[in-house]
Amino acid sequence: MRQEQFVAKHAPSWIAFEAWLDARADRPRQARADRDWRGLPDEEMPHAYRRVCQQLGLARRRGYSPAVVDRLQQLMQRGHNALYRPPPPRWSRIPRFFLAEFPRRVRAEAGYMWLAFVCFVLPLVATFALVRLMPEYAATIFSQQQLSEFESMYSSDVAGGKLGRDSGTDVAMFGMYILNNIGIGLRTFASGLVGGVGSAFVLVYNGVFFGTFAAHLSNVGLSDPLWRFVCGHAAFELTAIVIAGGAGLRLGLGFLMPGQRRRVDALVEGGRRGALLCLGVAGMLLIAAFIEAFWSSIGAVPASIKYSVAGVLWALVFAWLAFGGRGLRDAD
Amino acid sequence: MLDTVREVHTPEGVALRLPTAGPVPRAIAWALDLLIRGGILMMSATALSLIGNAGMGVYLIVMFLLVWSYPILCEGLFNGQTPGKRVMELRVVAADGAPVGWIAAIVRNLMRTVDMLPFGYATGLVCALFDPHGRRLGDMVARTLVVHEPRGGLRRAMFDAEPHTPAVPLRPAEQAAIIAFADRSPMLTFERQLELADIAQPATGAGGELGVRRLRGIAHWLLGRR
Repeated sequence: MRQEQFVAKHAPSWIAFEAWLDARADRPRQARADRDWRGLPDEEMPHAYRRVCQQLGLARRRGYSPAVVDRLQQLMQRGHNALYRPPPPRWSRIPRFFLAEFPRRVRAEAGYMWLAFVCFVLPLVATFALVRLMPEYAATIFSQQQLSEFESMYSSDVAGGKLGRDSGTDVAMFGMYILNNIGIGLRTFASGLVGGVGSAFVLVYNGVFFGTFAAHLSNVGLSDPLWRFVCGHAAFELTAIVIAGGAGLRLGLGFLMPGQRRRVDALVEGGRRGALLCLGVAGMLLIAAFIEAFWSSIGAVPASIKYSVAGVLWALVFAWLAFGGRGLRDAD
Repeated sequence: MLDTVREVHTPEGVALRLPTAGPVPRAIAWALDLLIRGGILMMSATALSLIGNAGMGVYLIVMFLLVWSYPILCEGLFNGQTPGKRVMELRVVAADGAPVGWIAAIVRNLMRTVDMLPFGYATGLVCALFDPHGRRLGDMVARTLVVHEPRGGLRRAMFDAEPHTPAVPLRPAEQAAIIAFADRSPMLTFERQLELADIAQPATGAGGELGVRRLRGIAHWLLGRR
């Protein structure tokens, strides 16, 4: 077939396809709401696209002029983008994600989560016991100056009766906790890419840090303000760090032991699951930052109320992670 | 190894050519984004200093959003283009050439943590230099590519000329060369145009200035203006 005949025969369908792309490809939601569309029907689009692909192959094979081939190529690329783009996010699914899907995703990686838990809690308990028994070891982990800073943060006579800080208003500390803690959570996951080493390191480091820190403050008689401060937000903060670490371990160990997949495929899968877990981790750390800034820091609340609230929070977190989304039908 | 174009075959059996971008334009795009982020941060700092201590908290939240959410949101909302990438005419696409999704945007930007190690994106640079498609680690995990935007619209700037039928049949490569000549002739000196048009004398059947005009005419004829 001569090029002119070919173009004359198919140009009307190209024009219709192009009109569909211009009008409806970029904003599918608006397009669905528009009932007056009289061009190419939406359900005909995949068929029209495949025809363009076939005609492009023909045009290339028959050596038609670059103008025709370029035009078809452009139509093909735009059609490909419209047909193979990922589905748009459904914002109405956000509550469902946090209440049901996130706990299910955590439970799906239970093995890695327990591994992360051990990586965090074992050093914590070990250093706590060590420094309680032999207080001088605190000075090998922290410098003398750091230790006195910790002590001043928890003495009730500074910062206007506020616990756990040297200075700063609640809002300023809220911003600070968001910047630092969510950043740490996300880095804990990402650094797992290096064979899980990064995540494991962050978990162990934080375990050692907190174990020594708590033991030292207990040794100098500040255990009451310390526990009153940390007990509440720890429910969200520590669990979130462990989950982020678990996701990072999954990413890294998947790379080391990919099973019957290519390593890169194992990484892609770990990355996808980890990214979804990270959304939940960021949400948990946001809640933790809020509690830490506006509730934990109030020095005047008596210990009994602080501990009861903390008990409720811990129970909520565990119930949520253990039972959230059980028995729910899978999302499509 | 020298050809950075990645050919992807779509399920329909046609090839999609993705010209992947190297580290230099990507680094420039990143630096532009850094400038934009710095600018936003400075502006918000000035505005927030007015409301005192609480402003400090908001400032830190803005900082968090700029560090972590800026690239994710830009790539998710603007079809794989942060402002810096838009200036450099780059775009993030999925490895099969489709538009990038939100999960992929999140993954590739979280993984910057590792690509930055030990300093200044050294890990990412080494990966991009060794990978045939110039991907950093984050791109591999997210299964994405950074590609150059195809440049359109050049053809409209072409000189007008009377369509001319070539004296001999032309092979596809020759057709492409003649159209490329017509595309670029506004950027060439007249002497260079004469030199190039003389090579194509068998097709134009004339030399000198007439040859140049006929060669442009052939380009128009090839593009279908008869």
